[in-house]
Parts: sequence; structure tokens; C-alpha cells
Amino acid sequence: MKKKKDIKVLLVDDEVEFVDTLAQRLKMRDLLVDVVYNGEQALSFIRKTSPDVIVLDLKMPGLHGIEVLKEIKKSASEIQVIILTGHGTDKDEDEARRLGGFDFLRKPADIDLLVAKIKEAFAEKVERAMTAIAFAEEGALDTARKIIKKEE
Amino acid sequence: MGLEKQHELRIAQLNFIGKVLSVFTHELNNHLAIIKESAGLLEDIMKFQKAQDKESLAESLKTIYAVEAQVSKSAWLIKNLNSFGHRMDKPVTSFSINECIEELLILLNRLLNQRRVTAEKRFQENLPLMDGDPAMAQLLIFCLINECLGKIGEEGRIILETGYIKGLIRIIIKPEGSLKAGPVDLFCQEAPPEHIALLLGGSITRDNGGVSVLLPLMQDMG
Repeated sequence: MKKKKDIKVLLVDDEVEFVDTLAQRLKMRDLLVDVVYNGEQALSFIRKTSPDVIVLDLKMPGLHGIEVLKEIKKSASEIQVIILTGHGTDKDEDEARRLGGFDFLRKPADIDLLVAKIKEAFAEKVERAMTAIAFAEEGALDTARKIIKKEE
Repeated sequence: MGLEKQHELRIAQLNFIGKVLSVFTHELNNHLAIIKESAGLLEDIMKFQKAQDKESLAESLKTIYAVEAQVSKSAWLIKNLNSFGHRMDKPVTSFSINECIEELLILLNRLLNQRRVTAEKRFQENLPLMDGDPAMAQLLIFCLINECLGKIGEEGRIILETGYIKGLIRIIIKPEGSLKAGPVDLFCQEAPPEHIALLLGGSITRDNGGVSVLLPLMQDMG
């Protein structure tokens, strides 16, 4: 199991002051944090590197967070996504969970709750990866792929 | 101006209010989130760097906790105001009458407190959702709460009860305490509660100072 310092988190939010401050607070809690300010930047970022957990805003200029979530789950389904929004409706929450979002938090969220959710999301990712490896080692590649993609 | 035109104008006005509220609360919530994170960062710096003596550190932290608590409370209020604004997004949508009343009571809390009136909720759980205009339903409930406030003297309480009877949603609203005699001013003379209930396809019965409202699950839009 990775130490907290090794958990790579990407924050995606167009509210620069908010997200920069949040990044500082998460870094103080020993998380490895990167920040981007819109959905396009987030998708570009994950093409180059793979964070463990993405904390994603919904209402941003350009790509809406739900669209970003769809793209992430299509191209890098192993990345866990936590929605952190100020204005998400119940419909947004249902949609985000249906698309594979790990959790849905509303701003302003408690920092300890957010860190706990990041750790939970990371732990689930690791567990899934280990289960998938076990299946892959036994030759059940299709099952392993489905586990990684959260299809079963 | 004809009645139909007035009605259309009223709908436009409601949409406008809803829009402004939604936009405003969106903006304000962002500000609150920034304040909360800034206060949180200050708290983190104090905790992690331990640059102050114990006593002043405790005092500073206490102040910061108070700021954070207040911001959280404000955010909760704003969330309800935002939700209230969104009730006016569409004239027909599925909604929970219990949530509509709850939200209204949160927003009217100050009004009730000023009159030393408490609201007692006796909601039936798991009521079926209604299809119709939640903003109009809230307007109806508001008018009836307003009537109760007019009847209650210095102190008292308003009982708000919901239930489901024979395919209809029933809402009972009644004042308790030292009640004033005589007629009560309506919130809007042009739109008495009976008229609003009719628009929602329902009816109102009055007895012993209380009001019983029956509303269909599906509002007739014809």
C-alpha cells in the first residue's frame, strides 16, 4: 500500500483562488497535488500522467464536469473521480454516480472529509487493481479488464 | 391587460426571480467556499507550524472555528435559497411536497423567529412525488403560513402536517396558541389560497382556524 504522500491527486476547478488554496491544504496533508483550471486541461493532463484521484468541479467554462467524467471513464477508467461542486443538483449526483464517479461532495466541503474520501477512493482503486492482477495471473483477462473498468 | 396576459407576466416574473436567485446564490457560494478554505489554510498554518504560544494559538483557532462554522451555516442557507430558485425553472416537474415545505420553513425561519412562532412538522414519510409546479405549491403554503401568522398573537406555533389519502396529497396547516379573532389579511388579495389551490387542481377546506389542502399527484396542465 502506498503512503499518503504517494497518492497523486489532480484538482480541476475554474475558481483559481479556491482551488489553489485547497491544493496548499491538501499538500500540507501529504498528498501529491496538481491543479488545472478547466476540463480541457484535465483531459490533456491525464494523457501525459495518471493521477490516482481527480477532484472535479462540474460547472466550468468549456467542458462541463460531467463531460470530463465521461471522457476520463472512457480513456482511463482506473482513475477515481470525486465530484466537488457548489451547485450540483440531485440529478447531477445521480448522473455522476451512474457514470462511475466515486463520490459527490458539495462546496464548501470539510477538508478532513475530502481527504478521507480521497483515501477511500485510492484504497478502492488499489484493491480493484490487486483483484484484477490476481484474475490476470490466472488467465482470466476479460474478467480482469471488467474489474478495472468497474463493469462487475 | 387581460387575465391571460397577466398570468403570463406573472410566470415570467417568477422565472426572473428564480433566475436571479440561482445566479446570485451560485456566486455567493463560491465566495463562501473561498472564505472557508482561506480560514482553513490559516488554521493549518497555525497547527502545522506551531509558531505561536499555546494560549494565543487556542484563541486564534477558536476564532477561526467560529468563522468556519458561520460559513458552513451560511452555505447551508444559500443551498436552500438556490434550491428555492430552481423550483421556478420549469412549470411542471416532479417534486416532494415535504421537501418543498421544509425548504420554505428554512427560508422563513427568521420571519417565524421574529414573531416567536415555531413550526412543528408532522410529515408523513415516503409520500409519493407530485407532478406539477413546485413554486406554485410553495406560494400556496407560504400564503397559508402567512394567514396563520396573522391569527397567532405574540407567541405560538404552526402545525404543518402532510399525508396521502385516496390518491391525494393532504396538507393541514393550523395555528396554535392565543389566536386573534377577526378577519386576517391575505398575502395577495388577487390570488387567495383557494385560487392557487385551484390552479394546482386541488381544493381547500377551512375549520377551527386551520386549513386542509387536498392536491392531486398530477396537476392538470390543460
